[in-house]
Amino acid sequence: METRTLLIRYDEIGLKGRNRRHFENQLVKNIRFALNGIQNIKINKIHGRILGRVNLVDAEKCTAHLKSVPGISSISVGNSIEPDFDKIASLGIDLIQEKLESLGQLKFCVRTRRSNKSFPITSKEFDFEVGARIMEALSFKGLSVDINRADFILEVEIGPQETIVFDNRVSGLCGLPVGSSGQVLSLLSGGVDSPVSTFKLMTRGCRVHSVFFDNRTFLGRGGYDKVVRLAQVLNRYQGGGKLFVVPFEDIQVAIRDNCHDMNRVVLYRRMMYRIAQALAQLNNCHGLVTGESVGQVASQTLKNLAAVSCVTPMSVFRPLIGMNKQEIIINAKNIGTYEISIEDQPDCCSVFMPNHPTTRSKKKYLESDERLYPWEKLMTQALASVETINLDDLHVTT
Amino acid sequence: MIYLDNAATTPITPKVMDVLKESLDSDFANPSAIYSIGLDARKLIERAKEDILVALNIPSTHKIIFTSGGSESNNLFIKGRCFPDKKVAYLGLEHPSIRETLEYLGSFGNDPFSMLEYQTEGRLDLNDVSILSETRSKLLCLSHVNNELGTVNDPIAVYNALCAKAPDTRLFMDGVQAVGILKIFSDMWPGLSGYSLSAHKIHGPKGIGLLIYDSKLSLIPIIHGGHQQNGVRSGTPPVPLIRAMAKAISIASERIDEMQEHYKFLKNRLVQGLYELSDRIPELNIRLNSLEVDDLKRQSPSIVNFSFPPVEGEVLLHHLEAKGIFVGLGSACSASSKKPSKILVGIGLSEEEARCSLRISFSGNNTIKDIDVFLEEFSCAYKSLYPTFSKTTIEN
Repeated sequence: METRTLLIRYDEIGLKGRNRRHFENQLVKNIRFALNGIQNIKINKIHGRILGRVNLVDAEKCTAHLKSVPGISSISVGNSIEPDFDKIASLGIDLIQEKLESLGQLKFCVRTRRSNKSFPITSKEFDFEVGARIMEALSFKGLSVDINRADFILEVEIGPQETIVFDNRVSGLCGLPVGSSGQVLSLLSGGVDSPVSTFKLMTRGCRVHSVFFDNRTFLGRGGYDKVVRLAQVLNRYQGGGKLFVVPFEDIQVAIRDNCHDMNRVVLYRRMMYRIAQALAQLNNCHGLVTGESVGQVASQTLKNLAAVSCVTPMSVFRPLIGMNKQEIIINAKNIGTYEISIEDQPDCCSVFMPNHPTTRSKKKYLESDERLYPWEKLMTQALASVETINLDDLHVTT
Repeated sequence: MIYLDNAATTPITPKVMDVLKESLDSDFANPSAIYSIGLDARKLIERAKEDILVALNIPSTHKIIFTSGGSESNNLFIKGRCFPDKKVAYLGLEHPSIRETLEYLGSFGNDPFSMLEYQTEGRLDLNDVSILSETRSKLLCLSHVNNELGTVNDPIAVYNALCAKAPDTRLFMDGVQAVGILKIFSDMWPGLSGYSLSAHKIHGPKGIGLLIYDSKLSLIPIIHGGHQQNGVRSGTPPVPLIRAMAKAISIASERIDEMQEHYKFLKNRLVQGLYELSDRIPELNIRLNSLEVDDLKRQSPSIVNFSFPPVEGEVLLHHLEAKGIFVGLGSACSASSKKPSKILVGIGLSEEEARCSLRISFSGNNTIKDIDVFLEEFSCAYKSLYPTFSKTTIEN
């Protein structure tokens, strides 16, 4: 069976100092997890790169999987070859000839990178020698050299153990490998924003678990099904994620029946933060993640954000805080959650929505409202009834 | 489980399922193919067609086209006859597959004529059809049975009125909610230029329906391709679905007398039970949106729509769902679409009354016990929801 070499480049890990090995090992682990379904694949770590050896037929599938692994900057599929001018030129001629025949004319160049500095020929010399051989074979067919505006770049990486030749680079997600920065808990609704904020923390190296506040007695099971699907899509970028489903109807009914209408949404959110914090502590998560963006809806004014945040001492990460809706939508489309998010299902914040929700809630009034219903008791009850879903165990359908 | 949303869809009946399974297993050949098994498949379609013609008393003046369901049939007839510039009228209480098809024609400058101001009790007031002549409407689209209210437009009466006052206006009816509930008599067809139906509303499979239309008329196809069904509707006809639909229609026609009695019985029990609840619970203010009459020319016995403000229908639906009872919403309102049903608002309900409504629709599978359990659970849910909702309403 013909094999190919996957050349996997990493992103910010390259900037790390002494703890670089920790990040590299985590990335290798994540790559192995992502390529779990591919048979007979071998992954090795070399200096500054990760290499994979895979059957030709699986190479494209591997690239597709690796595009979803945070921490990778780009992936190339190439051939491992002896560092011999003639052999590399011959491979280059085969690759270029096919393109040249369909296009008629082609500008190309050779780019060599030597991580093995003991190799006796410099990168420039190597470029020249291989390029000259290719030109000799194909210049009469319309091939020319242009190192600045090449249509085709033949890349050669000369490493200590092997030399790899390739002509493609697929961009990765960049950032840091999931698991290298610890765990956080994201408040996931069925909307467009919270899946994007969840994803953003994944690319910062966090394993992100999610919590969903469910009010199916009033809204039906549609919202729950939708959030499970969103969580499954997001989990493809990390693996090992959990979704906690918290029954929220009793709390919402109590707030509706006992508190001032205008404060309802902020009071819901204060309870969500409290419950999320408790769940985060139970599950070794070191921060909460929300999809809030300043001024987007009534509950996301500066005053309301402050009124909600103050119920928890835990760090609250809001990666979308300065983004506009259009930017968020573009992100959601790229990560594959947008089409699910726009399905018409209400989330629990919309239940008992007052006609005039406050945009400037005051802590003292919120606290006085909270003295009107037994929130500690209801919170304990909700936490005792949490459903935990291991997302790796579910089959992903989008 | 108690299923009371049969106007949305119905489970496949065992005899239909047998036909479907057997046919899926054996009738795989393409009915357009010219070898023997293709010819056999074509024969099966012809036989199914004959069964349908007999069951629905369809005369030779009309032909039938198999479609994917009621929505496609409505689209095919309306666009096929009236695109781009033939004037179309409608009552304004029709299913979205009619209403939105007409809005589509409107986007080409052919604005439909709404007769909403001429509706009484959810039906077209036949005293006013001369307006169709004045507006030069070439086609009038109506529901035979309204999908949310169950109110009936009697095709014979409408046609007679058109003959007298607007002879240039043809009649198209959406029969999706009528077949299996109301009898389809042969004297109905001369007045109908087109009629649509769908199998899954009468215990048949989803994905198959019929357009029945006057064979003198030509239709511009909306699906182009293999010229099947004389080019009116291209696409390989699904033999198993067609055979199963024919079986479902035959069974529905055979049992119609028995079913009508059954539906009347269930409906009366439900309506009486709702009024009794209203008497028992002072806060419960039931408004029946469907007609209470037993006259099948005015009201289908299989659909009962009622309002109970200030409790939201959607919330009550989910409370009943938690008890294993499945009912329909007169008005689908979720967080992102707070608009109440155009049909309920169209007959004069306030937005609140429209939002605070449910649609109960029966099939032969329902029993009196189902209705009693529903009434009991409805009253429990209403009582648990009423006080807090009333507070909201008062404050608003």
